[in-house]
Amino acid sequence: MARVGVFVCFCGANIADFVDVPKVIEEAKRIREVKYAIEYKYMCSDPGQQLIRDAIVQHKLTSIVVAACSPRMHEKTFRKALSDAGMNPYMLEIANIREHSSWVHQKDKKAATEKASDLVRMAVAKSIANEQLHEISVPVTKRALVIGGGIAGIQAALDIADARIPVTLVEKSPSIGGRMAQLDETFPTLDCSQCILTPKMVDVASHPFIELIPYSEVVELDGYVGNYKAKIKKKASYVNFKVCTGCGACWQKCPVKVPNEYNMGIDKRKAIYTPFPQAVPNKPVIDAEHCTMLLKGKCGICAKFCEKGAIDYKMQDEIIEREVGAVVIATGYDLWDPKPYEEYGVGRFKDIITSLEFERMVSANGPTGGLPIRPSDGKVPKSVVFIKCIGSRDEAKGIEYCSKICCMYTAKHAILLHHKVHDSHAYIFYMDIRAAGKGYEEFVKRAQVDTAATYLRGRVSKIYKKGDQLIVRGEDAQIGQVIEIEADLVVLATAIIPPKGNPDLARLLGVSYDKYGYMSEAHPKLRPVETAKAGIFLAGCTQAPKDIPDTVAQASACAAKVCGLFSGDTMKKDPMISKVDNEFCSGCQNCVKVCPYQAIVTEEIPMGHGSKEVRTVAKINEGVCQGCGSCVAICRSMAITLSGFTDPQIINEIVAI
Amino acid sequence: MITLSYIGKNTFLEAINKKSGANVLECYQCGKCVSTCPVSQYMDFPPREIMQMIKLGMKNEVYMANSTWFCLTCSACSGRCPREIEIPAVMEAIRHLAIEENYVNKTKKVKSIRIFHNIFLDMIKRYGRSYELRLMAEHNIRTRDLFKDMNLAPVALLKGKIPLLVKPLKGTKAIRRMFKLAEKLEKKHQ
Amino acid sequence: MKKITYFPGCSAHGTSEEFEKTVRMVMQHLGVQLEDIPDWNCCGATSAHTMNESLAYALPLRNLVLAEKLDNATMAIPCASCYQRMKVTKVHMDENPELAGQINATIIEEGTYQGKVAIKSMLQYCYEDIGLEAIKAQVTKSLAGMKLACYYGCLLTRPKKITQFDSPEYPMSMDHIVEALGAKATDFDYKTECCGASFSISNSEVVLNLTGKILEMAKESGAHAIVVACPLCQSNLDMRQPGAEKTAGKKFDLPIFYFTQLMALAFGMPEKDLMFNKNIIPVEKALANIGKIEPEPEKNKKTKKAVEAESEVA
Repeated sequence: MARVGVFVCFCGANIADFVDVPKVIEEAKRIREVKYAIEYKYMCSDPGQQLIRDAIVQHKLTSIVVAACSPRMHEKTFRKALSDAGMNPYMLEIANIREHSSWVHQKDKKAATEKASDLVRMAVAKSIANEQLHEISVPVTKRALVIGGGIAGIQAALDIADARIPVTLVEKSPSIGGRMAQLDETFPTLDCSQCILTPKMVDVASHPFIELIPYSEVVELDGYVGNYKAKIKKKASYVNFKVCTGCGACWQKCPVKVPNEYNMGIDKRKAIYTPFPQAVPNKPVIDAEHCTMLLKGKCGICAKFCEKGAIDYKMQDEIIEREVGAVVIATGYDLWDPKPYEEYGVGRFKDIITSLEFERMVSANGPTGGLPIRPSDGKVPKSVVFIKCIGSRDEAKGIEYCSKICCMYTAKHAILLHHKVHDSHAYIFYMDIRAAGKGYEEFVKRAQVDTAATYLRGRVSKIYKKGDQLIVRGEDAQIGQVIEIEADLVVLATAIIPPKGNPDLARLLGVSYDKYGYMSEAHPKLRPVETAKAGIFLAGCTQAPKDIPDTVAQASACAAKVCGLFSGDTMKKDPMISKVDNEFCSGCQNCVKVCPYQAIVTEEIPMGHGSKEVRTVAKINEGVCQGCGSCVAICRSMAITLSGFTDPQIINEIVAI
Repeated sequence: MITLSYIGKNTFLEAINKKSGANVLECYQCGKCVSTCPVSQYMDFPPREIMQMIKLGMKNEVYMANSTWFCLTCSACSGRCPREIEIPAVMEAIRHLAIEENYVNKTKKVKSIRIFHNIFLDMIKRYGRSYELRLMAEHNIRTRDLFKDMNLAPVALLKGKIPLLVKPLKGTKAIRRMFKLAEKLEKKHQ
Repeated sequence: MKKITYFPGCSAHGTSEEFEKTVRMVMQHLGVQLEDIPDWNCCGATSAHTMNESLAYALPLRNLVLAEKLDNATMAIPCASCYQRMKVTKVHMDENPELAGQINATIIEEGTYQGKVAIKSMLQYCYEDIGLEAIKAQVTKSLAGMKLACYYGCLLTRPKKITQFDSPEYPMSMDHIVEALGAKATDFDYKTECCGASFSISNSEVVLNLTGKILEMAKESGAHAIVVACPLCQSNLDMRQPGAEKTAGKKFDLPIFYFTQLMALAFGMPEKDLMFNKNIIPVEKALANIGKIEPEPEKNKKTKKAVEAESEVA
């Protein structure tokens, strides 16, 4: 005989304001199988849980109904209370009378209460048919895959590897380092970016637990948490890394010049190249789209001059496979193209550059010897106008969000300009100054006071040419005047956007992304480094704009999550998955076709006991199945059941209303 | 200094939003409109300040300002507004409501503009087409600036730029009916 | 022979007679028949929408109703202001049939508005429907040697939602037409800055100030003259130029041409028919540039040997 305990929560005022809780208890007590019903202010609290534990023992209850908030909140909590009292945790049913009643029917207390009582009755009826389920153990492959070799990927890889867990780090470009390798000095300390980054890059290259695969991309990911299989395409570099010494003779002789991506197109690189002098690995690759030998069969100068014979024009792309237990996505960001700002003459005026171009100019290893110059005539500018919010916070021409880092790096640029060109003057057009980090406000003050940069509050409306200068027109709202500045150089702080390849990568990995292309976190506040897919984590700007301190913190957080995942030899899995009853399975394989996780395969079993003939039936992979129920719905033999949502359970619910 | 007392709902803001179809609350005061506007220097309050004043419920000051009378409806501002606010529509809504509710800015410049428009519309009511000569002459008289543009008159007349006569429409009755409807619809709002 | 509906506008017989005449000449030359709206009325220009919302829609609506009787798919309008008012009315009446019905009722004997006719500015029609190739084909007297600043004003390409034509910040349609005629269009940053429009009579100080800036930028761009596609722009930049010169304290000496005047000139029509005598600022000096072609600057020619030598050193 079923003995059900019903526990109704006030949830403070969340439920109690709109649902008459005592009435719900009253109705519950009328149900024959309910042997104990009680209300409490906060069921999820320790005393609340104690109530449940005590009631199970005292009243010899067989199943429990908790009428409270969504199971997404406290299902785990209450299941643990059940198991602490010696009851199978899956004998719990939760009636969501908050999200499903009190929160959505605030105008009609009577109706809300009736609905709450209905929900409780349904949950009671269902719980009577609940079966005792047990968590499943799946094996776990203790290797992590990190996609992206910028500071986020590097930090995550190092932290995981330091825990003696092998890491495969895949990077799309020939070298790791990412955007941070393009920076000169970083806020708020003005640390030299290369100086703090390159030691980490070298650590990655020499770490015994890190396998660095540069110039490669992930092209396939199958499997489930703890048991992923990744296919990685190693792009042909046409250089044998084992033999190459990195002497540089090849790229010195190469006659082909291509715009240099590392320097934002300001200068040129060769078709055989390393992206920058401190590249890791410091071995060149051949850019197949521009190499005359690979395109037309002519030239071959690099091979002639290579003393080690490391050039191999016949090299092919190679696909390799890796088995991993977790994946960290760290693909970084791209810069928004400011072309829509026609009123600024973008594209027409040479002396308008983006912030990353300015950063490359002032960098010691940059294309202009560490000095900002005017692209039109190569002169060093004296009057420089910085414009923030280019594309950011702009619903008309750009994107709605704030790019977070531009206020800080523009202040940094003003300071750097002052250091490099002592008699220069910086004008900064802004809407706000967002300096919320540690030491950030103090840093902005340095720009305002030490360099005397002129901050003007207002968006620039137009830039036009006058002689060889640019006139920048905007309002300074603080004095209510329209101001026109004669500028030698204009620097646009363009918005940062997710990399173009994010949506495709997300689809490949099976995670979701938002309307901008940022990878979606599982919960914006409480689960910022996880995705909705177990075992796949996010670090850095691939998830949302952020600065270096936050990126490193998020990367380390990913590493902690990965280590937690790999802390045992097996992983526990929720048992609410599908089961096939071979007695009824006809082998039609409709379920195989319909499973979105490809969790169902077929197997051959004997026709009958001891028979030599075989028949085909479905076999569900417990580790992969997510319990979505598609196979249950399509099975025409009713051979598949979903544990936790069996027919008797559902029918009980329906009958109860 | 302005003292803001509790006024409950901002009915002024709601009226402007309803008539213009825009939402003044979206303005985040970036000021791009001010430096875009070719005539902001002539306005009592440039567009950005008008938006803020509406949000503060300053109906009297907004209606009496000369800003909307100087607005050329050139749409340069709305083309650049990052929040895509239809600023000319807001200006027009303010101006129309000010006319309907009888707020009259008596400064010389605004008077000159109003007189011009009233004469122009009068010409259309009579003839169905504009009659520039009479328009210019009457404007001079009513703004008591008899010799304005007198230096232009001989050249313009000689080059035939300003015809001496006007040829009225056949359909002037229809025009008059439209004027009547327009006046009726305006009074409905008062 | 293509046939389109034509709305001349009030200034056609007065301040912009030369625009009107050359439009008709050029259209005929290009094989387009213009069918005038019979008994058309003033569109209301700036005054109607400044003072009264319903009147601002009513006046153009009558013209749209009359236009629909002519059974042509497209209507082209030379004056930018009339074009803007008519297009705005069409868009607003299509979105608000109730108000449209109310206004239509007052002129019901003239017809019922259906919203069938597409409305384009004359510049838009020339660029989109006639096309650069057709225009180029008709050129017998190239304007090569002339440097022209193309001034669009505010209403031909703005607001983007209404006009849906060319760029609201840096349009190039007129530039391309002018270059199809053989001339060079200068890099002119004040293409769409407002001239002061209807303040010409009621507040001319504003016009003198604004046109002064436009003329100055045009001059700085190296132009011999300015080309326009709107009567009010022409009038402000031309008739008010002496006043603007006085206010700015500079000489501009820039004649203001309608683009159709230049098209007619390039198509080989006799100069005396093009009404250049109507221009306040004299045109002779600017027109004298036709045929005076500047030599191209010496291009840096590198030999194959030099290229090899360069890469050796690198």
